Amino acid sequence: MNVILSIAKTTIGEAIRRRVLLIILLIGVLFLVIAPGLSVLSARSSYTVLVSFTLGVIQLTSAVIAIVLTVYLLPNEVERRTIYTILSKPVYRWQFLLGKYLGAVGALGLMMALMTGILVLVFKIMQAEAGMDVVMTLARAPMMYFVQMSLLAAVAMFFSTFASPIVNFFLTGGVYLVGTLFSPVFQDIAGNNSVNAMVKTAATVIHTLVPNFAQFNVQNTIINSGSQLRSEQMYYLQMVAYAIAYVAVFLIGGMMIFDRKEV
Amino acid sequence: MNLAIETKKLTKTYKTSSGMQSVVKDLDLEVEKGEIFGFLGPNGAGKTTTIKILLGIIDGTSGEANVLGRPAGDIESHKRLSYLPEKPYYYEHMTGLEITQFYASLFGIKDKELCVNLLNRVNLGNDYNRPISQYSKGMQQRVGLAQSLLNDPELLFLDEPTGGLDPIAHIEIRDLILKFRDEGRTVFISSHELSDVERICDRVAIINKGEMVHQGRLDDLLSGGRIEVTADGVPENLADKFKGDDMTLSLRAGRLIADLPDTMSPNEMIDAIRTSGGSVVSVIPRRKRLEDLFLESVSGDNLAKGRVTGKMTDDKKADTKEEEVSS
Ligand SMILES: Nc1ncnc2c1ncn2[C@@H]1O[C@H](COP(=O)(O)OP(=O)(O)OP(=O)(O)O)[C@@H](O)[C@H]1O
Ligand SMILES: [Mg+2]
Repeated sequence: MNVILSIAKTTIGEAIRRRVLLIILLIGVLFLVIAPGLSVLSARSSYTVLVSFTLGVIQLTSAVIAIVLTVYLLPNEVERRTIYTILSKPVYRWQFLLGKYLGAVGALGLMMALMTGILVLVFKIMQAEAGMDVVMTLARAPMMYFVQMSLLAAVAMFFSTFASPIVNFFLTGGVYLVGTLFSPVFQDIAGNNSVNAMVKTAATVIHTLVPNFAQFNVQNTIINSGSQLRSEQMYYLQMVAYAIAYVAVFLIGGMMIFDRKEV
Repeated sequence: MNLAIETKKLTKTYKTSSGMQSVVKDLDLEVEKGEIFGFLGPNGAGKTTTIKILLGIIDGTSGEANVLGRPAGDIESHKRLSYLPEKPYYYEHMTGLEITQFYASLFGIKDKELCVNLLNRVNLGNDYNRPISQYSKGMQQRVGLAQSLLNDPELLFLDEPTGGLDPIAHIEIRDLILKFRDEGRTVFISSHELSDVERICDRVAIINKGEMVHQGRLDDLLSGGRIEVTADGVPENLADKFKGDDMTLSLRAGRLIADLPDTMSPNEMIDAIRTSGGSVVSVIPRRKRLEDLFLESVSGDNLAKGRVTGKMTDDKKADTKEEEVSS
């Protein structure tokens, strides 16, 4: 355990200093800060627009950070030969992979916490009369995004055990898009008895293999808040359990490949 | 036998665009406990590849490799060995001390004082709180040595430990390595710094294109030096007295040039020259240098060309045989 946490800690320390990631983060933060100014231009109910815009910024920024951060973790270790000194110590490869993954999740958490903090601050300033609890409900969506991005990082980690960073970028990005845009469609087909059996099987397979990223997009329930607060907590818990299960599958798959890999 | 490292017919083959490429071929290494072992070969000979196999970072294609009595890559034996890679590189945002503590934590060691002591030992006492990104090559190499001592290893793998260092750093690191032996550790050094190896190694192996060319005690491998005696005013009949099969003699117009093996004492010849009225001009011992052995081992090859194809390997076999006959 010690070994895994040590590796995770150094990974965080390194990730939060990576210039590319900081630039992406800075762009995200910039958009959050100027968002109120932009929403004035919109004719519709500016609050709703502002919420969905800023949450969208956080989600997109986090997804890009998650992918860019994770696809380079293993290749960088090999290229700089740091992995050799680590693996010549009493460290199992699965411990190394898990440490790297947890480090990625930790760094992602820090960066997302920063963006969420700025989000809350922006809204607090915008609506000085609103209570803190109202503003804090906004922070729930980024929390679910964090779960979503942790899952995304596991997908990238899995692919990085055999694919080059560039290929991995498109693979993971593709899985994210399919899992976000088409998951509801596949879910529909898989559950529909009137379609062709083969199509149905294919849909079920894709629906099972590709994590359903769409279900983490809870911004709509927050925008139309007040309706189903009761079941919400249950739903969140389910999402977390779903993510953990998928993370475990991707990491174990990655460990099995990485264990035989020539580095 | 008490071996720290033993390989039997160790082979590593890569698939490349030009076909199968044997980077290490039927290698039989024997490294005894407590010795400094030099692992030599030109660029691309397969030194680093062999070390990676011995550490379990990559797997051999065939053959056997045992390290500290266990199969290579065994995690238990990793507690008792350490590795300094060639041109090491560390997480740049960390200080020398933080890096050392990080590696310590991989052994479950939390002792900060131990880390500080080791950094002092490699002369980084004044610099260990500076980030690695500000370190010179030599300082980075010394951080590497400090981390390689954390677990008080029985066996150290040092890949090019003096590569790219200035002469002073060379000597410092050489002295450290000699101390490692005094402490009872086995040191396995891969290098092409022949002068360093010649000074500190007990035994060496020379490989070329993945194949063993020589392995043995440095003293044995470098035996067979010659002594050249030159004298003037030597009478003709003296030459006949010393004609032997292991000696070449030429005597013309009173000048004698004799070339004898260093196992033979030149005294007798010098005495004979002087009593016969001749005068000795020079006696020059020509000790075989590691450099000679090295060049002879890899001769006939394009040194810069590390690649081994199936065909070239066959050529190589013929080369080795020839050398064995002639030496
Ligand atoms: N993954 C790989 N795939 C194909 N060939 C490889 C691979 N790794 C190493 N080689 C080849 O193996 C040969 C030996 O490489 P190695 O690094 O072991 O040499 P070396 O003796 O350490 O050389 P140097 O003195 O330059 O460090 C080289 O020709 C190299 O191109
Ligand atoms: Mg090398």
